[in-house]
Amino acid sequence: MVMTAVKQKSVDRYVRERDRFAEMLEMARLVPGDEGELYAKMFEILLDAKETIVDCVENDKPFIAGYFCNAPELFTAMGVPWFMVMESPFLQSSAPYVLSEIDATEHMGLGTDLCTAIRLPIYYIEEGLMPVPTAAVGLLYPCDATPMLQQVIMHNQGWKDVPIFSCDPPYTSDERAITYFAEELKRMVTFLEEHTGHTMDIDRLREVCEESNRTYSLWQDYNELRRNVPSPHGFTPGGSTAFAISQCFTAGDPRCTEWFDLLYKCGEARVKAGQGSIVGNPDWKERIRLFWFDILPFIWAEDFLPWLEQEWGAVVVMDMFGHCPYTLIDTTNEDTIFYGLAKRALIDAPMIRQARGTAENFSNDIRRIVPDYKIDAVIWPGHMGHKDGSAASGIMRRTCRELGVPFLHIGLDLFDPRYTSVDEIKDRVSEFFTGMGLG
Amino acid sequence: MSAQDAWRIFAEATRSLGNPEIDAWKAQGGKVVGFFCSMVPDELFTAAGILPFRMRGTGSTSTELADAYFTPINCTFPRHAFNQALLGEYDFLDGMVCINSCDHVRRVYDNWIQALDTPFVHVMSLPHKVDDPQVGWYHDDIAVLKEKIEGQFGVEITGDRLDEAIRLHNRIRALQKELYQMRRAERPPITGVQALEVMVAGTALPRERYLELLEEVVEEARTAPGVDGYRARLMIVGGELDDPEYVRIIEEQGGLVVTDSTCFGSRLMWEAIDEEDPDPVRSLARYYIQERPSCPRMCGDQPRRLAYVRDLVNEFRVDGVIAERLMFCDQWLVEHYMTGNDLKADGIPFLALDREYILSGTGQLRTRVQAFLEAIKGTSVTIRAGAQSLA
Repeated sequence: MVMTAVKQKSVDRYVRERDRFAEMLEMARLVPGDEGELYAKMFEILLDAKETIVDCVENDKPFIAGYFCNAPELFTAMGVPWFMVMESPFLQSSAPYVLSEIDATEHMGLGTDLCTAIRLPIYYIEEGLMPVPTAAVGLLYPCDATPMLQQVIMHNQGWKDVPIFSCDPPYTSDERAITYFAEELKRMVTFLEEHTGHTMDIDRLREVCEESNRTYSLWQDYNELRRNVPSPHGFTPGGSTAFAISQCFTAGDPRCTEWFDLLYKCGEARVKAGQGSIVGNPDWKERIRLFWFDILPFIWAEDFLPWLEQEWGAVVVMDMFGHCPYTLIDTTNEDTIFYGLAKRALIDAPMIRQARGTAENFSNDIRRIVPDYKIDAVIWPGHMGHKDGSAASGIMRRTCRELGVPFLHIGLDLFDPRYTSVDEIKDRVSEFFTGMGLG
Repeated sequence: MSAQDAWRIFAEATRSLGNPEIDAWKAQGGKVVGFFCSMVPDELFTAAGILPFRMRGTGSTSTELADAYFTPINCTFPRHAFNQALLGEYDFLDGMVCINSCDHVRRVYDNWIQALDTPFVHVMSLPHKVDDPQVGWYHDDIAVLKEKIEGQFGVEITGDRLDEAIRLHNRIRALQKELYQMRRAERPPITGVQALEVMVAGTALPRERYLELLEEVVEEARTAPGVDGYRARLMIVGGELDDPEYVRIIEEQGGLVVTDSTCFGSRLMWEAIDEEDPDPVRSLARYYIQERPSCPRMCGDQPRRLAYVRDLVNEFRVDGVIAERLMFCDQWLVEHYMTGNDLKADGIPFLALDREYILSGTGQLRTRVQAFLEAIKGTSVTIRAGAQSLA
């Protein structure tokens, strides 16, 4: 099908990303054993997601732009292809052009203190570098920047014909809040039915939720393995990757459950063999068990996370997105399902769980995770976009003090290594470990 | 009481946290509750016989105590306000109501309950949209606050008392709006500095007392000779701006601020609350969610906000718009980005300025405003001849 230049431009970077994932899949297939298969399946899932969206654009099929932690089981049940509007900064974080795109956001007038993960999608939308969907749905938390991204979408001329529905999560977490949000989710379904031609079948939704229940049960089992000393895995593959697969790409899909099943098997094999996360040199041992209380870094991840393990024996045993407090959904009837989805989205899903409401989940998670995972130190990286969390850093510090576990707040950009250089971050971490007598 | 006395009291109430009117109120056994953000329905407190006090950081010179709770990427407004609380400057409060208005202010609640022992502290849950379900949510949230005030302070907020409070606040709004509308004239009766003093004082004084003073000021303005000798008519758009000195610096360069859309400005009073609804709580919810001019926090309402700015630009014959933003505010950063593009497309000069809560960088501010006024001179069709600095 011949596409207009505007449409071609909107999908170009998706085609590039798709092709890159195809290459990475081929590389992963060369890795032997279950762990190789684990990575291969992950890239198969990412590749399929990209291919689906490219196919929708090229062939004028309905698809939507969505947002993370917004009850993705609903999209799966309706069979609506979707992409997460913020995914490119994460998935293409190692692409050489990302830093120049960050610069371009500043030149647009978006300043330097707006979260980079929000600035980039605004840039892509404003520059026509994101596929224009049939409809868009959003979630108006976890931060102030999120509703602003939604409003840029509404304001943009290229997206002016795209109908948009954004779910409004309340600030509280009681029964009234969950019930209200369940109604918001129902309104989102009505909106999607109206604008995409896809319909909701409650039996299909039940199947999907039962599948995602199986996924989350497996994830919880897997996280039990990470309590072992040494932890079978560190910064990869159980944290952010597990989140992305379960919430952004294959929610309620049997492929997702299969991936977690394999993840569990890989972790179990390592535990049985007494093998920790750090491999490649017999002198590298797990010496510090870290709770990294945020998303892991992206663009500069390769310069930092392996260094943590190899230089200090510091293993990220748990991070914000690897934590799995997901409660299972009661699939008795439509009301219980929507209630369960609302509760999962509001109270369980990472970042929404901590940043949407009052600060108690920051301290509650620390109180739970530190003893459960035998954590030696908590690092709040202080991403420049996570302003509510930074305003809770005093609360986190006091909680850690009560628990007797060292706490470090750095202040950095999880995407842009020019905000705080990797060397400076390493210095801060090294001083912290040394000062606290760790490692 | 003369208008001159009223101006003095307004200035005093604006330039410090406490003021003699609050002292007198407290001396008579009156209660005072502080609240963050103009989306908190302060009519409820008035109905309960409590003085509602809008939180500020006025007089603060440092954030050293608050910095144990907040970080350098947090807005300086809540940091200074919280620092003032930690210093005891807010000890006159009998309660504090916070709201999830932004990522920075909402954490004041969490830190306040850790650090301070104010008898009554509550956080409201403000929706992010302006649709009917959100009115329903906010109705119930206001009802929760009403019940908590009643329980804490041993008062009953009857429908009649709430109706009465709404009428009082509406009367204030009407007079404030009348004063603002006089500024449409070629020679506005007051400066932007004075306008901000009127508005800030309205959040810091017992409301019946404030109404008496406001009546004096408005009466005087009706016959005032007005301000002339300015180079351009300016509008300020933005959020938490409670410092008249910031406006003074702008006006000292020769621009006259004739209107605004800010959190302490016209958005507080441009619309009135429905006095006819038999359920006054529903009136409040509808007003705060749907009827009053919104701020960028309310998703989906940007076209209405832009129309509001455009209407004021036309109505007040504005030559240029100054968009102020507190550093690290995501909401106003992106809003100004959109508004700036729209106004520039309309041919309306637009200047975006970042600032700290405490007045600083005044040299840079002067330079940028001077340059803006020069730029306006090149584009505007309404430049005043023979302009002199207002200073």
